Amino acid sequence: MSEPMLKVEGVQAKYGDFIAVADASLEVPEGMIVSLIGSNGAGKSTLMDTIAGLHKPSQGKIYFKGEDITGLSADKIVVRGLSLVPQGSRCFIRMTVEDNLIMGSFPKVVRKKCKDSLERVYELFPVLKQKRNDLSGSLSGGQRQMVAIGRALMTNPELILFDEISLGLAPTTIKDIYARIKEINKSGTTVVLVEQDTQRAIKTAKLVDVMLKGKVVLSGKPEELSDEDIKKAYFGI
Amino acid sequence: MQVIQVIINGILLGGIYALLGVGMTMMFGIVKLTNLAHGEFIIIGAYLSTVLANAIGVDPILTIIVTVPIMFLVGMGLQSGLINRVMKIGSEPALLVTFGLSIILADAMLLIFSADAQRANVPYNTASLRIAQGLNISVLDLIVFCISLATIIVLSIFLKKTYLGRSIRATSDDTQAASLMGVNVNRTYAIAMGIAMATAAIAGMCVSMKWVYYPSSGGNYLLTAFGVVVIGGMGSIPGTLIAGLILGLAQVIGGANYGQLIAYVLMVLFLAVRPQGLFSK
Amino acid sequence: MKDNTTTLHKPVKILDGIVMLIICIVICVALYVLGITKTFSNNTMRYMFKIFLYITMGTMWNLMSGFTGMTSLGQQVFIGIAGYSVAVMTSTYKMSMWMGLLVGAVIGVVFALILSFVLFRMRGMYFAVATWLIAEAVRLWFNSWPFVKQGAGMTVAVKQIPKVRELYIYALTLMIIALIVVYALLRTKTGLGLTAMRDDADASSSVGVNIFKSKLLCYLICSVFIALCGGLFALQKGSVLPSSSFGIDWTVAMVFIVILGGVGTMAGPILGGIIYVILSEFLAHFPGWSNIILGAIAILVIIFLPDGIIGTLQKKLNFEIFSQKRLSAPKKSLKQKADMAA
Repeated sequence: MSEPMLKVEGVQAKYGDFIAVADASLEVPEGMIVSLIGSNGAGKSTLMDTIAGLHKPSQGKIYFKGEDITGLSADKIVVRGLSLVPQGSRCFIRMTVEDNLIMGSFPKVVRKKCKDSLERVYELFPVLKQKRNDLSGSLSGGQRQMVAIGRALMTNPELILFDEISLGLAPTTIKDIYARIKEINKSGTTVVLVEQDTQRAIKTAKLVDVMLKGKVVLSGKPEELSDEDIKKAYFGI
Repeated sequence: MQVIQVIINGILLGGIYALLGVGMTMMFGIVKLTNLAHGEFIIIGAYLSTVLANAIGVDPILTIIVTVPIMFLVGMGLQSGLINRVMKIGSEPALLVTFGLSIILADAMLLIFSADAQRANVPYNTASLRIAQGLNISVLDLIVFCISLATIIVLSIFLKKTYLGRSIRATSDDTQAASLMGVNVNRTYAIAMGIAMATAAIAGMCVSMKWVYYPSSGGNYLLTAFGVVVIGGMGSIPGTLIAGLILGLAQVIGGANYGQLIAYVLMVLFLAVRPQGLFSK
Repeated sequence: MKDNTTTLHKPVKILDGIVMLIICIVICVALYVLGITKTFSNNTMRYMFKIFLYITMGTMWNLMSGFTGMTSLGQQVFIGIAGYSVAVMTSTYKMSMWMGLLVGAVIGVVFALILSFVLFRMRGMYFAVATWLIAEAVRLWFNSWPFVKQGAGMTVAVKQIPKVRELYIYALTLMIIALIVVYALLRTKTGLGLTAMRDDADASSSVGVNIFKSKLLCYLICSVFIALCGGLFALQKGSVLPSSSFGIDWTVAMVFIVILGGVGTMAGPILGGIIYVILSEFLAHFPGWSNIILGAIAILVIIFLPDGIIGTLQKKLNFEIFSQKRLSAPKKSLKQKADMAA
């Protein structure tokens, strides 16, 4: 069996004295779509922030492509090919759509590919091409998510983490964005989806992990997990 | 005719005011730091320029070729060595540290250069262009205005069009998202301070040609710079230009005795009524 | 977010209650007796005079910045106004020094009241810089106002120049009143509400205290006491000048005293004031270096001892001197606050 693309071993993450992630372990094989589900406050977002380097883990190890990336800062991790689409899109609202996207090719290793990547993003989300000169702060929630996804793609990632991408969006928009995510996955990028919408996450993913109170309590292929198992893990009953 | 003369003088003064404030507005908008030492940075720029110009015997304008890179590096060092560290403790300690720096620098300059008044002498000091009967434009004022405007335009193009400039704007919008794009936030802050110092070098050179200055003049220039930040809206470069013009006009209309006073009162009123500035949403 | 303050040990309060009261009274009585009986030399009393006034000013600046979160860089405006009041009342109107001090305090309060309408719309660094702007504006105004002889300054013309011993007693009395007022204020509901506001601006309204009124009260108390300090300084010096009476050095001193001693502690400004006066007397031997060294010390303290001397000791040894906290949870330090924000 080959090395997983991402391996998280016993990670603990704290805010002050508050333990948000207690002891999380998971593996993401190359080329997969993996869903991480769990209720509000289970520690999913903190785990994503910790993997991407926005937050320093207090314990545990994180390996990406077999290399130890524990405790590296976000700007060092993204150049290795791991990109996070953070919760709530976090566009640069006072910058135009195109400037937002170009920011994605800030790492020197991908600057040469900027033009090609830009074309690719515009192909994936034609609406962004129309609005390329608008301030991203003036866009709708769905379009902002597209900017955030596009921006992450510009960094040319091998693994891309989506943190609650569907939060607060209309069902049609969610469907559209999920279709794009599948396309992104088909073109060879490994995907991790963090979701509260269990149904959609299970339908899309090839592997599901369930988080509860800061721990990954269940993981397996969606077809092997019964609804009952997932419910139990999700609510902790 | 006199009204036009006043307006022209106000606009010319506004140009250098905008330049005084542009470095401070950058620090404010990007690093979220109120740099109370910015006035002293400007005066350091003035002394460096005067000393250098006298030593080699060149026009003070040429000295910026040397002073700008020096001040840029000093700014980067200061930010990464000291201020980034203090900002981790909190924003109030950071404010007080820049206050401490301003006091230290002012007195250090007093030790080095004594309290004597300084001014760079340039041959076009008193020259003026006659536009019409009773309407004159000082050559020096015009040169200073052009330098100020050019600096601000170059800076905005840099921020708009380059990778580094975009990364600075991105950091000012959302530091975490910027770091997810591969931006080293601490380094960006250092660069922003370097740029702010570089603009202070140019502003100082302009100050040294236009006005008499002392080691203790920093406070006045800080408050003017702060006025530009407040009226223009933090981090807004076009706002900086408009704010400079407003303050310049207020100063010229108030005259020698009350100009500064009127400008200060205007700033306090702005702070009370519209603290986010004219050009901030 | 979980409340992490509850896990801390409850600090041991020393100098609290009866023991504290007795010690304080003994010290105060001793200081009076030593002054009145001329046990102290004139020189010593001149030192002590300065120490008392700087402790008063530090305590007041601490009340504003440390306890209510209003960091002012312009409190020198009250020193200047009161100094000029003393000079104008005594030399222009030939009145007594008491009249001068009274007028100074009244003008100080009225001025503070007017300023509060403008200042209280601002927060944080806007407040800080606005206070500085106002102080500078007033200085410029005095510099060109013929009534106060413009930039030339004025002399204080009292018939009987107060003796060092008298000034010593006035300053000591002022300091004792100031400390009692601040201590009492902080133990009232108003004070607790203000402390809550500083620690968490949003939670403050839940304490049920009218924040505007409480802040105003603090601001007015500060302006009165700092004005009285300014009046006494003018009496001692015998003259006032726009550049020195409204100088930023006063604020430098207050900031230094509070940072060194410990922001938000009762005992901090007392220790800070003593150190400041001794240090500045010592630094007077090195003309021009005084502010450079004070500034450098302040910056080092901010970096390495962000809680100041008293604050750090209290935390390390887990005790509190003059605890002003009757009910509230342990104060969060700057560091903890930064962690919480991150």
